[in-house]
Amino acid sequence: MAGYILKRLLSAIPVLLGITVIVFAIMALIPGDPATAILGSFATPENVEKLNRDLGLDKPLVAQYFIWLGNMLQGDFGQSFALNRPVIDELLERFGATLILAGTAFVLCSLFGVMAGVVSAARQYGFADKAITFVVLLGISIPSFFLGMMMILTFAVSLRWFPVSGMWPIYGARDLGALISHLTMPALALAVVATGVIARLSRSAMLEVLRQDFIRTARAKGVPERRVIWRHALRAAMVSIIPVLGIQAGFVLSGAVYVEIVFQWPGVGRMLVDAILKRDILLVQGGVVFVAACYVMFNIAVDVAQSLLDPRIKT
Amino acid sequence: MRTFLSLLARNRLALWGGVVLSVVVLLALITPLLPLAEPDVTDTANRFKPPFSEGALLGTDHLGRDLLSRLLWGTRLSLAVGFAAALIAATVGATIGIIAGFYGGRTDNVIMRGVDMLMAFPYILLALAIVAALGPGLLNALIAVAAVNVPFFARNIRGVTVSIAHKEFVDAARLAGMSNARIILFEILPNVLPVIVIAMSTTIGWMILETAGLSFLGLGSQPPQADLGSMLGEARAALITNPHTSIVPGAMILVIVMCINLLGDGVRDALDPRLKSGALSRPMPATAVDRAEVPAAQGDGLLAVQQLQTQFHVKDRVYRAVGGVDLTVEPGQCLGIIGESGSGKSVTALSIMGLVASPPGVITGGAVRFKGEDLIGAPYETLRSLRGDRVAYIFQDPLSTLHPLYTLGDQLIEAVQSHHRVARAEARRRAIELLTSVRIPNAESRVDSYPHELSGGMRQRVGIAMALANDPEVIIADEPTTALDVTVQAQILSLLDDLRRERGLAIIFITHDFGVVAQLCDRVAVMYAGRIVEEGPTKAILTAPAHPYTARLMACVPELGQGRRRLEAITGLPPVVDKLPAGCAFAERCIKTRDACRGGEIALAQSGARAVRCIDPDVALAETVA
Ligand code: SF4
Repeated sequence: MAGYILKRLLSAIPVLLGITVIVFAIMALIPGDPATAILGSFATPENVEKLNRDLGLDKPLVAQYFIWLGNMLQGDFGQSFALNRPVIDELLERFGATLILAGTAFVLCSLFGVMAGVVSAARQYGFADKAITFVVLLGISIPSFFLGMMMILTFAVSLRWFPVSGMWPIYGARDLGALISHLTMPALALAVVATGVIARLSRSAMLEVLRQDFIRTARAKGVPERRVIWRHALRAAMVSIIPVLGIQAGFVLSGAVYVEIVFQWPGVGRMLVDAILKRDILLVQGGVVFVAACYVMFNIAVDVAQSLLDPRIKT
Repeated sequence: MRTFLSLLARNRLALWGGVVLSVVVLLALITPLLPLAEPDVTDTANRFKPPFSEGALLGTDHLGRDLLSRLLWGTRLSLAVGFAAALIAATVGATIGIIAGFYGGRTDNVIMRGVDMLMAFPYILLALAIVAALGPGLLNALIAVAAVNVPFFARNIRGVTVSIAHKEFVDAARLAGMSNARIILFEILPNVLPVIVIAMSTTIGWMILETAGLSFLGLGSQPPQADLGSMLGEARAALITNPHTSIVPGAMILVIVMCINLLGDGVRDALDPRLKSGALSRPMPATAVDRAEVPAAQGDGLLAVQQLQTQFHVKDRVYRAVGGVDLTVEPGQCLGIIGESGSGKSVTALSIMGLVASPPGVITGGAVRFKGEDLIGAPYETLRSLRGDRVAYIFQDPLSTLHPLYTLGDQLIEAVQSHHRVARAEARRRAIELLTSVRIPNAESRVDSYPHELSGGMRQRVGIAMALANDPEVIIADEPTTALDVTVQAQILSLLDDLRRERGLAIIFITHDFGVVAQLCDRVAVMYAGRIVEEGPTKAILTAPAHPYTARLMACVPELGQGRRRLEAITGLPPVVDKLPAGCAFAERCIKTRDACRGGEIALAQSGARAVRCIDPDVALAETVA
């Protein structure tokens, strides 16, 4: 097992390098003098000079890339000129909030998505199936930002169940209860689309599995139907559901941008949009590499989970 | 194409999606011709007019601009941008995919590595990075959304291209000296085009959502020009005071994307042949029952099948897989059911405990009495409590019939615990005992193995162990040795025979092999086209078969141990069971056929211990009865 994890970690290195190359290449598209372009409205002579020194922008592209990469490996993602602080500090501070939001949404969409898919498949063509199919269709068609706004109108403004926005109350204790009441709406809004996608795939994965011979065997053994569905069939279907969960984690993580804006959640996504609008390029660059790297790591965890679940995978 | 359209039209939701979408697209197309207010003219005196006010059907926004006009112009823009993004992504992605798939080798490797890298990014993040580099703006947002979708198309199209690139017509074109470019344009492209179109129809909804998203964030269309996303973004500040300015554009996005998804699903379903046949339905816990009358109980056999009829209903066709079968077994007895594939022998066996996949299977008549109690139409719980406890099954290929992800122990323990409240440790001891009893070496350690770690013969022993878990009274074995080689086959048979003797088991043994029947069965029933054509003591039938079909069946399979044989020696094919001929079903292939054979129903004539369904049996039954 440890060997397998190590192998997967090693295989992530080229992917991570690829990510930095792609981000670097995209940023190299910026026209004009790089230092001035990167700094945008912060292009004071001192800043330009400092940036040229830090990133070696007068050197050839390849050299620039390695300087940038080397700095990042030492934890130096550069300086945000708009915020006047190191990028990494801002990132670490913001990432926690995004992780709470996206993590909760991911748990919700995995749970509800798989459950809806299983029920839908078990009751194929029945009322529950039709109802779920329709709700799922609605879910994958609604933009999360619009859904979030409608939730604010309904549950925060009219019903006053939840606070309108933010992560913590302005006054009052920052305890778990406060966090949950602030988190509920954004997490749900973020989870809805992914729930729909997962439900659809789980449904078809379950239908595929339920036709297999070993399901008939389980029934012939006299295993109660509930157990046939939730243990035998679901366990086998998970093998094809788990990779989908991995992909959806990426959607949830990056889709957090919209929800963070709507609910004024102090996360990385909102920071990125602000940074783009202010042309704070180093912050964008660092943020994208950081989040993408986290996602790659998460996918390794998914692979490991898959290998634990399926004894046929050689570890 | 015609059938495709009619299939699509049959899907009512897809049809509605298509209709609504057409209306929206039409409105967007004729927007410039409509008598609308100017979308960008501000009129601060008339800010936030509610919907249905004079001169502004949907009200006005925060700058007093007419919402209806802005909505239609915004829709126009959003549709155009979404469509353009899809088109660009499809074109670029397909080009990359075709090149990778067509040239293969190094080219393919390098390209697909790059595609994998791009796919390692969380999707929207990559779009944000591109917009960050190019700067905010609708055109840049379009490029970003198109770019992040390119890998999806490239991967899909590459797959299809690879499968086409080695077909004969491509090789022929190469031999004819066509250049690669011409082959790609005239041979490959027309074949991948449908795939591109389907991929576009499933992604265009996403693209509209994503461009709207970027505009919502302020990174797409810049004021005063507005698409639906930026309308929503601008309205957000007044969400609480004037919700209608948000609801109008948001609802429009929802409607558009939903219609596209409905239509896309309809297109996919209409094109997916597996859905056409209804093959993707899942079987229910017990076979559906739809029978008019129940035959009266007769005799008191352990297990008696009476006049069983099982059909498959596929669309409007009815396949009569089992057309009135009677069988009985007593304790310690082994009954063989023999026939070609498609003769209905397996369906008969599965019908007994309601295990025929349903849909499409339906039991339409007859009764199955276990100790006098009718099981057909019995409540699910009654069936379940008998399954695996009193009546157990052994299936053909144990690699697919054992759960691949549970250990043997878990599966055996479950078999025990489904019927007895015993502690896990106790059940585990029982599992090891069972494995030992079917002569699996090292049962103690084997119990924690997974099915894929065993040989075929060992797996079948596990299948038998599982059937024995609760000391059943009847075992129904559905071709349990067909997948095995000859020596293992003989071992399994002698194992079953021992069990029958030791435990007084009743066995119903389904096979197509007379050799197996000779070794194991006291009595045998020969099935043809869903009915029993001959039945009697094995010995008597083996020495003097009465039905012409039995004789032919025996002629192809002289003795045990010749491996897997099919019944090739009989000319012609068994009749398709959705249109059985009147009279004898074997008439087409029989050498003694005469007019009377096709005249009408031929009864199963009973004589002593034997019975035959033929007007001119090879031997007169009365003579053979000893
Ligand atoms: S009934 Fe006629 S056709 Fe059928 S098996 Fe007998 S002889 Fe042949």
